[in-house]
Amino acid sequence: MKYQVLFIAALLLVAALIAGCTQQAATQQTTSAPQGVIKVGVIVSQTGPASNVGNNMWQSAQVAADKINANGGVTLKDGSKAQIKLIVGDDESTQAGGQKAATKLITDDKVDILVGGYSSAVTSAYEQTIAEYKVPYIVTGASSPIITHRTDIDTSYIFHHCPTTDTYGQYTTAFIDQVLRSAIAKKSGFAADRPLRLALLYQDTAFGKGVQTAVNNTITKDKLNIQLVSQQSFKMGESDFRTPLTAIKAANPDAVYLAAFPNEGAPIITQARRDIGLNTIFLNVENNDNSQFYKDLGQYGEGAIIESRFSPYTAPAGAVADGQSGYKQAYFTRFGTYPDMMGASTYEGVFIAAKAIGNAGTTDKATVRQALVNLKMPQVIEAMKDQTISFSPDFRESNFDLWMEQLAYNATIGETRPAIVWPDNLKTTDFTLPSWYTAGSA
Amino acid sequence: MDNIGIFLQIMFWGLYAGCIYILLATGLNLIFGVMKIVNFAHGEFLMIGAYITATVFLLTGINPYVILLLSMLALVGIGAVIERLCFRPILGTGKLNEIFLSIGLIYIFQNGAAMIWGDAWQSVKSPYDGITVPVGSLNVPVDYIIIIAFTAAILIALFLFLKKTRIGMEMRATSQNRKGAKLIGINVERIDIISFGIGCALAAAAGTLWVVSGQVFNPYMGSIPAVKAFAIIILGGLGSIPGAIIGGLLMGIAENSAAYYLGGIWKDAISFIILIIVLVIRPTGLFGEKGE
Repeated sequence: MKYQVLFIAALLLVAALIAGCTQQAATQQTTSAPQGVIKVGVIVSQTGPASNVGNNMWQSAQVAADKINANGGVTLKDGSKAQIKLIVGDDESTQAGGQKAATKLITDDKVDILVGGYSSAVTSAYEQTIAEYKVPYIVTGASSPIITHRTDIDTSYIFHHCPTTDTYGQYTTAFIDQVLRSAIAKKSGFAADRPLRLALLYQDTAFGKGVQTAVNNTITKDKLNIQLVSQQSFKMGESDFRTPLTAIKAANPDAVYLAAFPNEGAPIITQARRDIGLNTIFLNVENNDNSQFYKDLGQYGEGAIIESRFSPYTAPAGAVADGQSGYKQAYFTRFGTYPDMMGASTYEGVFIAAKAIGNAGTTDKATVRQALVNLKMPQVIEAMKDQTISFSPDFRESNFDLWMEQLAYNATIGETRPAIVWPDNLKTTDFTLPSWYTAGSA
Repeated sequence: MDNIGIFLQIMFWGLYAGCIYILLATGLNLIFGVMKIVNFAHGEFLMIGAYITATVFLLTGINPYVILLLSMLALVGIGAVIERLCFRPILGTGKLNEIFLSIGLIYIFQNGAAMIWGDAWQSVKSPYDGITVPVGSLNVPVDYIIIIAFTAAILIALFLFLKKTRIGMEMRATSQNRKGAKLIGINVERIDIISFGIGCALAAAAGTLWVVSGQVFNPYMGSIPAVKAFAIIILGGLGSIPGAIIGGLLMGIAENSAAYYLGGIWKDAISFIILIIVLVIRPTGLFGEKGE
């Protein structure tokens, strides 16, 4: 009995140590900062369902801080140089975890500015804390417009550096109308005015519903020739999508638009093509431009579309190509893998934080906030409207140039790889319907 | 696809989902039936079984359906150790101790798995990936046929084990009356350890079938299936193996039907709606007896 008690005590101790490992990683850099250090809190999902994306965001932030520090750091008002010190907060992919991480970074670690946030549901849960303590926060992942549009709390310290579901929902719907509809009509011999039959499969969260709303509103507002034939939802973290996909197949769509995370998007397409025989075009949201997504998809990704602004495997011709290449190389050198889309905007988020503090010349939070409001800095690695990063005066949102990629299977590596097919000024190849594609019917 | 075709397809997906639930819930019920303990960490055995199968498959390329046996054997061992060192000392000391112990085990297993395998979602492809066979009007992946066949084979083997072997009869006797079993000379502690090991092995089988079906998995995958397994054993009747089988099947079909006819957000809720209805009508569950 004595040994059993000792064993259980040892087991609990091991558990506490294991559980503390992540926390240790989070706190090991939190020793009191010396003069000349800017503390940037990075809120990401290091654990839980979104950890794949979250770790990419955290690692990208580290690559950015390394580069800024290697170039001398940030120049403050008194002429002194300050180094960037990152402190990570793990939101555990949950609202409670996000609340904990934000509170700790603000009250214990006393960060000067925050960067990060992936899930809109998680991020919106701790916005009240941001409002209360008035800490500038550059959100680089949560794409629901409610992040800065909500009126129940003060969001004036929150700046949105990623396209919202409104923006990319509209953009993807425009692609469907302008490119996909005519390609399907041409291949299938349909009349030019035949409406495209679109199905939606969306995560039942602020993110997924945001995409659903944007698609519905865009079709109505712009009077697009698109008919929504099925709208199915699923719970975040779901892994079996066969039933909603069966419902979608029964509606005979020409294409299916997915509002899903990478750990959901890859199984959806795999189950649709392998198990359901739904041989159609799947359109994916930008957060799926992720190396794990390509790996999980395998050959089933052939022909699929991703709306994007940064890809681990392709880049548009022109101004941002060199910046993206340098970032990918620096990331690969340090971590042995390539960065993903959410990593890219977080990388830029750290640069924006550094620039705003540099412009403010101080870490005073109100002054830094004003510097963010007035910010006009050259684009870093992602293509921005007018090649400039700035935040809109109404909802403090930056304005990206987006593109659409189509995936082609590479049998040698057993994965698909993307090529930009739209818009014309960024594309590297033309969109084509795969030979196995089957159009829907009324 | 006509309405009957769609209905049959939904039933088939429900049957497949039901197989995972049946194996998980049967194992949980076997443990509860013999030991009367509440183990919320049962889903973590599914997760470990999934990782063992995936790891061995990726390292060796051995057919994952063969690895299923290895995974089950490994979980018999892990389960026996957990029973001996964690649950036996607190047996009979109150349900609260069991609940908190099993919650502690959840964190240990989840964080341990995250340290070993990382906590990103993973998936593997079965060697039969992409092969389909016609079943009536349906064209279904061969993996699902194998999964259903394996589940049936495991349940038949369990049935024969419980009915025909001496240990199986001792397990049933212990389940029916622990004190009585002791009085007639059954070593109930030995039966406990065997029951716990077999229960964990069934969870490992569920985890393996989860992996080969191409579903994604990560260290936190076991929590929701475990909650559903509890709902199933309450629905079917605590301690009743037929109850777990019928309950699992019912749950799989109900979830998929609800997702189709009512929408995806009802998928999880329907399980508990059915549970509430059954408990109101028959508080002991479908196959439960008074006093269990």
